[in-house]
Amino acid sequence: MSVVSAGWRTLVHREILRFVRRPRNTFLPPAITNALYLIVFGVILGGRIDVGGDVTYIHFILPGLVVLGAVSDAFQNASFSIFHGRWNEYIHEVQTAPLSYTEMVIAYVVASALRGTLIAVLITGVGVLFTNLIPSMTPVEFAHPVYVVAFVFVITLLFAGFGVIGGLWARDFDHLTVMNQFIIRPLVFFGAVFYPLSTLSQFWQSVSLLNPMVYMVEGVRFAFLDISDISPVVSLAVLAGATVVVVAIDVWLFKRGFGLTD
Amino acid sequence: MSLAISTTDLEKSYGSVRALDGISLAVEQGEFFGLLGPNGAGKTTFINILVGLVRKSDGEASVFGHDVESEYRAARDRIGLAPQEFNVDRFFPIREVLTHKAGYHGITGEEAKARADRALRTVGIYDKRNTRFDWLSGGMKRRFMLARALVSDPDLLILDEPTAGVDVELRHDLWEIITELNDDGTTILLTTHYIEEAERLCDTVAIMDQGEKLTVASPESLMARGNDTIRLRLESPPTRPPKIDDERIQEMTIEGESLVVTAPTGGEVAPALVRSLDRQGHTVVDMDISRTSLEEVFVSLTGTDEAETAPETEPAAPEGML
Ligand SMILES: Nc1ncnc2c1ncn2[C@@H]1O[C@H](COP(=O)(O)OP(=O)(O)OP(=O)(O)O)[C@@H](O)[C@H]1O
Ligand SMILES: [Mg+2]
Repeated sequence: MSVVSAGWRTLVHREILRFVRRPRNTFLPPAITNALYLIVFGVILGGRIDVGGDVTYIHFILPGLVVLGAVSDAFQNASFSIFHGRWNEYIHEVQTAPLSYTEMVIAYVVASALRGTLIAVLITGVGVLFTNLIPSMTPVEFAHPVYVVAFVFVITLLFAGFGVIGGLWARDFDHLTVMNQFIIRPLVFFGAVFYPLSTLSQFWQSVSLLNPMVYMVEGVRFAFLDISDISPVVSLAVLAGATVVVVAIDVWLFKRGFGLTD
Repeated sequence: MSLAISTTDLEKSYGSVRALDGISLAVEQGEFFGLLGPNGAGKTTFINILVGLVRKSDGEASVFGHDVESEYRAARDRIGLAPQEFNVDRFFPIREVLTHKAGYHGITGEEAKARADRALRTVGIYDKRNTRFDWLSGGMKRRFMLARALVSDPDLLILDEPTAGVDVELRHDLWEIITELNDDGTTILLTTHYIEEAERLCDTVAIMDQGEKLTVASPESLMARGNDTIRLRLESPPTRPPKIDDERIQEMTIEGESLVVTAPTGGEVAPALVRSLDRQGHTVVDMDISRTSLEEVFVSLTGTDEAETAPETEPAAPEGML
């Protein structure tokens, strides 16, 4: 006997197939985008940008790009799958299934987080490839591999959880775009992906600390490079707590039928 | 033994619209139950409350003794639903949609595939198993909706207008399939606009209108409530109906060469009627008795004659449709 129900496993499997069967949509765009980022910022501009210490720019931005790719894909997967299912009403297949509301939510969240994790691996792989191919560069290494895994795990779950809320809330495809382009991306871009916090004035540094992405980017950067302005343990604990809260909200919304039942 | 479906004072409001206004229904296990009512009567709303697609505003609803809210998993596990609107996952080939559906009900692996194939064969679209839903014809889509409802081997099969807009052959196929299932013990809840269908299939029908239950009875006893029509062709028809002393006769009119008589039980009235006419010197050359249709009972109960409005939505409305 397995701990999780066959019904839950079926739903997770279905949600994974949904993106695995479309590799050109799932894996190709982030591979290309991130290769471009690394060429332009890492290789071409990288030599002229000094982020302090003996860290080269390509090594500095890679953790941020991993976070950017992982969370936006986890978010987008969950929100799109749920919204599209509502739009075409096939989410009824899940709603009328004998699964508990918690099982439904966790299935969507886990499958979406897995997609985010695969993207994180993919982007890291692109970084490893670049730094190994270019002779003048030091290959990417992981200062704290366990933290890498822990952070990627927590942040993809967290954003998959947000994605569920987004998917339930959206009333139109435009809403999905709005959430991704106007909320997630700006937060990530101003979340210390491309610059160290210390380059900002004191005021903007304080403002940045209100941005949850900063903790994620700093945490993953610590895991890769052993440099951080914020304690990784605190970040991880706060993010894990946030994940639990967000998933609990998801379950509550499913139970209430928010966006699902009239 | 618990009821297959039991609702008490079930209510549903959408803003100011009262879709269900206190519906109490009991469907026995093994029953073939028909839910009839004009458009907007609340049939789909009733069904959707049972499966969890609509939240009730008030009242109680349970399926095989399981409350649809507090024991939603147990209730949903027993139900197979073929909804009125297509709500199929179009990303996967239809066979896979079925194995997923089986999986939610705890049936996995080879068993799920076997179930999926069996359901597809039952409805006659096995050769389309690797096709996506979008590429099926309209009739095949309807067949697939039934297959999806069947794949979990439900104890309660709910069919919301399964034969809307399908051709005669398919309608008969579907009737055969669901009759067999019912014979094997599956409880069936069917909504339809084809009265003929309800008359032919259902043990019991409930007629509802504007969220209220008007009556629940067997089709036979409903039809017994109305009058039969006896049509007698006379050799030399009089201009006015003859006087016949029989209190069972409700009405007599002359239509062309025929005398048209309405009475509750045509078969019993007719012989005496023919004798009386004979005594008065009228020779009956032909006689035809038509029973009240359920349709007439339906129209008199709901006050709606949908025959005028139906063609707008269903251009190919066959006769017998409300
Ligand atoms: N989501 C909704 N929002 C607002 N009103 C609704 C909604 N769904 C149904 N209604 C209203 O509730 C009433 C009952 O609708 P319902 O779909 O249950 O009728 P029905 O008997 O299934 O009709 P039909 O034979 O046309 O399928 C109608 O007045 C309808 O307009
Ligand atoms: Mg309906």
